[in-house]
Amino acid sequence: MRRALKQFAGLRQPAAADPEVLRELRVLRSRVPHLTGALAVGTGGVLLAEDAPGTQAAALAALTAAALADALRLADTADRGHFRELLVRGEKGYVAAYAAGPAAVLAVLAEPRANVGRIHLEARRTGARIARLAAGADERPEDD
Amino acid sequence: MANVETSLKEAMTAIEGSLGAALVDYTSGMALGTVGGGKDLDLNVAAAGNTDVVRAKVRTMEMLGLKDEIEDILITLGGQYHLIRLLRGRGNNGLFLYLALDKTRANLAMARHQLRRIEAELEI
Repeated sequence: MRRALKQFAGLRQPAAADPEVLRELRVLRSRVPHLTGALAVGTGGVLLAEDAPGTQAAALAALTAAALADALRLADTADRGHFRELLVRGEKGYVAAYAAGPAAVLAVLAEPRANVGRIHLEARRTGARIARLAAGADERPEDD
Repeated sequence: MANVETSLKEAMTAIEGSLGAALVDYTSGMALGTVGGGKDLDLNVAAAGNTDVVRAKVRTMEMLGLKDEIEDILITLGGQYHLIRLLRGRGNNGLFLYLALDKTRANLAMARHQLRRIEAELEI
């Protein structure tokens, strides 16, 4: 997993955001009301793409990766298998992280009135699509 | 008084033509319980989607200045009826029962009557 991450991160950093990943984030935001931001983050904390105006995207990316590392350990220790998602509910809304393959994670910000069921459904799909995009980038680095 | 699981099971067995039932929290869009459904009817998708339906209707009533509350919502498809019944009283605000029925087998008036009874007896 770590090797995959290095390839992916090495390929993307510090180049501009992957336009296909960015498109997925924009589609996600347009599909779910009250979803205020979406970020694709490498598991090492590198920001791959973001559509999250008015946020500290780089800091969010780093913290998402840190939270992900803890969530992976927690799921593993509790014998719950591979990481799927992480949901934090604050007084002013939600921050969630969804698995997006071995090299990336999708972070999502939403208002308190957001439809969490809907966010789960849409973000899981987006996570899977980002995973495919990331895998494609890993397999064919010479194409880029 | 019946708990969530018993109530949903009763909706599935007592109401003729039931395809699936769910109790949904429309503040979050998440299902508190589901019975039935399957490959052709994902009840978690239905919970999230119908949350948007209920919210849209609540908003519309606010905009119209109607100081009233929704008792139930009926959606008629080609082959199915979808019934949404909002829970009332007893601090159960923000929840609805969702029931999908096979149109060819269901008796709509009876289904609505029975769902009202199940809702009245449901205790969260």
